[in-house]
Amino acid sequence: MITETLVLSARALKKWIRNPAAVVPGLVTSIFYIVLFGSSFNPTSLFTSGLVGSSIPPAIIAQIQATITQQAFGGAPTYITYLTAGVICLILVFNMAFGGIDLVLDRQLGFLNTLLTAPIPRAAIFLSGVVQNLVKAMFLALLTFLIALAIPNGLELPSGFGVVDFVGVFLAFALLGLGLSSVFTAIALSVRSIDSLVAIVNFLTLPLIFMSNALFPSTSFPEWLRAIADVNPISKANEAARLLIVNGTLSSSQLSTFTGDILYLLGFVVVFGLIGYLAARKALSAE
Amino acid sequence: MITRGEPPFYSLARSLCQLVNMTKMIEAENLTKVYKGKVKAVDHISFSVEEGEVFGFLGPNGAGKTTTIKMLNTLATITEGRASVAGHDVSRDPGGVRDSIGVVPQELTADDELKGIENLMLAARLHHVSGSAARQRAEELLKLVDLEQAAQRKVRTYSGGMRRRLQLAMGLVHMPKVLFLDEPTLGLDIQTREKMWDYIGKLNRERGLTVFMTTHYLEEADSLCRRVAIIDKGVIKISGSPAELKQRVGGDVLTLELAESSIDLTDFFRGVQDVSEVTKTGQVYRIKLPRTEKALPIIVEGVLKKGTQIKEISFTKPTLDQVFLEVTGKSMRDEDASESDSMVQNFMMERAR
Repeated sequence: MITETLVLSARALKKWIRNPAAVVPGLVTSIFYIVLFGSSFNPTSLFTSGLVGSSIPPAIIAQIQATITQQAFGGAPTYITYLTAGVICLILVFNMAFGGIDLVLDRQLGFLNTLLTAPIPRAAIFLSGVVQNLVKAMFLALLTFLIALAIPNGLELPSGFGVVDFVGVFLAFALLGLGLSSVFTAIALSVRSIDSLVAIVNFLTLPLIFMSNALFPSTSFPEWLRAIADVNPISKANEAARLLIVNGTLSSSQLSTFTGDILYLLGFVVVFGLIGYLAARKALSAE
Repeated sequence: MITRGEPPFYSLARSLCQLVNMTKMIEAENLTKVYKGKVKAVDHISFSVEEGEVFGFLGPNGAGKTTTIKMLNTLATITEGRASVAGHDVSRDPGGVRDSIGVVPQELTADDELKGIENLMLAARLHHVSGSAARQRAEELLKLVDLEQAAQRKVRTYSGGMRRRLQLAMGLVHMPKVLFLDEPTLGLDIQTREKMWDYIGKLNRERGLTVFMTTHYLEEADSLCRRVAIIDKGVIKISGSPAELKQRVGGDVLTLELAESSIDLTDFFRGVQDVSEVTKTGQVYRIKLPRTEKALPIIVEGVLKKGTQIKEISFTKPTLDQVFLEVTGKSMRDEDASESDSMVQNFMMERAR
């Protein structure tokens, strides 16, 4: 089963790498997310550009700004530092969701049928879908991280940030990606046309993102929305990654939050991996 | 495939059954497929294909050919009846069937972004053939289908005919016991089509490969298949060797066009020995008879004696087209419109790649 999964994933990735039209827009989108979100959504700029015409002394404005950044952004030195983890979560969600298009095309063009008539475990077909989407999305996640680091006034990592922290950040992203990939691969294998995939995926992605703390701190949400956001795996991955990105070395209470998030994400992967597999097996059974 | 909880003697019993049925590569009994409880795509058909035989399923689009192939290939469940392929029951042992078959689908499934050889190696690996064995077979097959020169090129640069040939090779790379071909020459020009027939014929003669194919090209069935079954609306109308089937529709057809004349020669032609049927349209007579060669002098002499001139004379040996017309009540050509529809669809699919 592992061999078949690898063979199939390698095929998909080879196609992906060889087709610049599929890779380049992904790169550009990553840059857009970081640069545009970073510039347009930046609430701290309200203060740095000065509250024109107000009579509040600048010292007090600076104090307000410091308090807000501390409370809302967990002490991140720049807005993009705060935002990077959220944007990467967003990129993961969108890439998992729309990565399924390749799988629908495989079905429509008959490739899936050639797999189904071959002696391949059905699980390998599902797993290869999960793996190919995960690899593509993680590549873009890594790239987004590097872009955020590179741009001026961008991602500023704390002084103690080391390899272990980096691995921790991407562990959180990878677990989120694995769970999401299982869900969206199962959906892609279950639908018969790209139209229905896009409809379902659009219906799911926006609430998934906005009912999480990816873009705004959930502390500012109304209670009902916060309740949802707090159980959203996107929030957990974002929280875990953001803790490391902003703080580097974690205090013991931060460490327990981080560990809790990772365990939660592990549970998410197991439960949704299983549900996804069962749904995919049904979708791949004889008609 | 391991079936849990199966008593050990079952496998022994199965091997014995396989021994008995060894010469039968495909067996179908009352095979039926009903989609969504309503549409009866295949309706209680029974047939068998022997080892080393090329068996053709002939019928218009929508007759149930592809559905039958899908059931035999484990892609579609069987609503009623049973089928076995290479000794494996299709419903109970789909894994065994998948191990034994090669499938060349109607669609072109090779990857545009991969090279010809890469597509072949992928097909090999997915059938558990790897390393040097895979490479050797891939090269052999590329030679067989004349794609050696194009092996290192991406499939996106291939013509329609080259894609079909590659597809054929992809279905053979694991040396299956039975090869399923679903419309192997759909949309090809006549030269390329004949090339495909050559390859398939060669595989059958030289390697004894059993082939189950569907087609709606009568010439294809005629030139390739040892036996054919004509299927229409999910039912097998007639089956046998092409020669047998043609015999049944009653021999040759002689067509005579006479110069303008008020004399009706229908009765005279009917009187000629062995003539079974005469139809007249304008001045054109269609005369059915077992062997034109014998009766031709009598007919020509008779016409001249009546003082009529012959404008044109021709005769045709029976074709499967006539057989088809006879058993289904419609000509294969009536289906031309739907064929062009499916061509358009194929074209759209290729554009989607």
